Amino acid sequence: MKRVQILLLLAAVALAGGAVLAFSAPLDRLQGEYTRLLYVHVPTLWIAFLAFGLTAFGSIADLIRKKMRWDRRAAGSAEIGVLFSVVGVCTGMVWGQVVWGQAWAWSAARLATPGLLVFVYIGYLALRQAIDDPVRRARRAAILGTIAVVQTPLVYFSVNLWRTLHQTQSIRPDGSTMEPEMLVALLVNVAAFTIAYIALLVGRTFVSRLEEDAAPATELAGDQVSPPRLSEVEDV
Amino acid sequence: MSLRAQAREVARIDLVVERRVGDTLRIVLPFAVVALMIFSLATPSAITDLGDIGIAVFWGVAVLYGMQIALRISASETARRREVMSLIGLDPAARFLGRSFASAMMLMMFMTVLLVFTVVLFDPDLPDAWLPTMLLVIVLAASGLAMLSTLAGEVAGGLRNKSALASLIVAPLVVPVVVGASQTLESMNQDNGILLWILLLITTDLVLLTAGIGLSRPLEEASR
Amino acid sequence: MTSLIELDSVGVTIGNNPILDAIDLVVAPGDSVAVIGPNGSGKTTLLRVIATLLRPTSGRVVVMGTDTSEDMGANRGQGNGFITHEPGLLAELTLEENLVHFSRLSGEDPSAVAQALYAVGLENVASRRVSDASFGMKRRAEIAWQLIAKPRLVLLDEARSGLDEGARSLIDSLTVLTVSRGGAVVSVSHELPSQGDEWPQTVLELSNGRLIPR
Repeated sequence: MKRVQILLLLAAVALAGGAVLAFSAPLDRLQGEYTRLLYVHVPTLWIAFLAFGLTAFGSIADLIRKKMRWDRRAAGSAEIGVLFSVVGVCTGMVWGQVVWGQAWAWSAARLATPGLLVFVYIGYLALRQAIDDPVRRARRAAILGTIAVVQTPLVYFSVNLWRTLHQTQSIRPDGSTMEPEMLVALLVNVAAFTIAYIALLVGRTFVSRLEEDAAPATELAGDQVSPPRLSEVEDV
Repeated sequence: MSLRAQAREVARIDLVVERRVGDTLRIVLPFAVVALMIFSLATPSAITDLGDIGIAVFWGVAVLYGMQIALRISASETARRREVMSLIGLDPAARFLGRSFASAMMLMMFMTVLLVFTVVLFDPDLPDAWLPTMLLVIVLAASGLAMLSTLAGEVAGGLRNKSALASLIVAPLVVPVVVGASQTLESMNQDNGILLWILLLITTDLVLLTAGIGLSRPLEEASR
Repeated sequence: MTSLIELDSVGVTIGNNPILDAIDLVVAPGDSVAVIGPNGSGKTTLLRVIATLLRPTSGRVVVMGTDTSEDMGANRGQGNGFITHEPGLLAELTLEENLVHFSRLSGEDPSAVAQALYAVGLENVASRRVSDASFGMKRRAEIAWQLIAKPRLVLLDEARSGLDEGARSLIDSLTVLTVSRGGAVVSVSHELPSQGDEWPQTVLELSNGRLIPR
């Protein structure tokens, strides 16, 4: 619990710092104030992919090791991934509307892929909701997570092939097309969001463990069935 | 019993059951044809040539309705039935292969008949010598959809809302099949190469085949 | 192999509900064991653990010489007949077709099906669809399958429920046949086996999640 509190505090500080840099960084002359969406849109998509990646890794680890902690991590990460994907896609849509005059374009592969991934993981979470027993839930979810791992690259590749209109990457390995202050603000926000993700994940897995351990039945199932008492009840 | 013999027997029985119950021909296919009609009726007047959207509508309907055909046995199989099969010694990989094969056969038939209705209703622009390519694409797409649906049906089998849940699982993951299938004819129309799309379909099928066989035992245990 | 079943401190908890607690059981070839217990005492759960259909939460399960606690598929098709509340037959097939299907999957000779159905008294309804068959007919068909498959281990879960006298005698015959060829039978019920049934050698009671001699 203390670890969760420390991480949340760190995340709050990092996000605050990121916000300060985001609001003090120069604006793109074409996008104006909407430039600041970059500092939310990019980190949230990064977290979405990271979260789904951990769900995938956790699923495979659970399948092999059959340890509940991997299932908790995979599930917690999926929930966070869905949240960040939705935020990422929404900010991307606002940005698209402003910059390209189009909120959604299927040919914008970097919106389309997280847009589709959200539904993969909504299906994953829906499957988990349908199973009460934690062990059975973990095993089936791990299998679905593994199927998603192998199929998602093909989903990404096929959508990408289908033409893209998205903006060319601003951050390139050989140097950036962004101004240095913008780049610094972006990287700090990516780091801040990553810390926030870790804090949320640690907190979520902690809560999951509490839920699993909550109120174990002390009585054997058979002992919970009482003998009939028709004679004690009137008007039956 | 060899894996192949068991898979063949599973496929045989699935097809026998389908012949007796007749869901595909009597229910899903007419439903899908009506869906084609609804799409054409819902098309705005600005689109004067329905042929422009015909093949796209075909693949959308074929995949979404085809999913119901492919899911019907996996999702409806009882836990007791799966146990009996396991105790008899049915290799779960054989069950996956046999079930997928039977579903693929039904999907191929379904898609082929649906295609005929699509050509009649939409009169799409079709390139020369389109039919052999289209049949190849139907084989590959039906196989991919069958395998993915079989997997999803087994994952969701025995759970509440299993049909809806299995459909939700399949829908986003079937995108490579939809893209590969729909873009093949589009590429032919534009005199572009189709190899990339065919390779996408083949790769998807191989990935699903590997996943299905590899995950069959963990899935059998997880379903208990 | 000295025993067919060895359960060593087996416990099963499903969700947060403990069902079985430290079950110890040894069943040797030739044994016929009856386990009795009230509703909800975990009888079916016990059989499912022995049938390697359910992984125990704790303890060790060795069935036919193989530790199945970790690898539940180790005994796949090795001779384990499990008759429980719900017959595992396909409703759209006939009684005969179901048994032929089982035979083809397990490598048994499908030509033995007709004889087995005759032995259980179903020869005149062999071509009846399972969806149109009575519970008793389905149960007899399951017994017919056990006659074909000749499993070493037969597990019966309230197998006599809902059966007429003729069908009940088939359960007894199945028990005798299995035991006489060196197999074993474990049956669970909420009531004591009555005289006239094939009297089991051992009667155990499932109480407080444990097995105790009756």
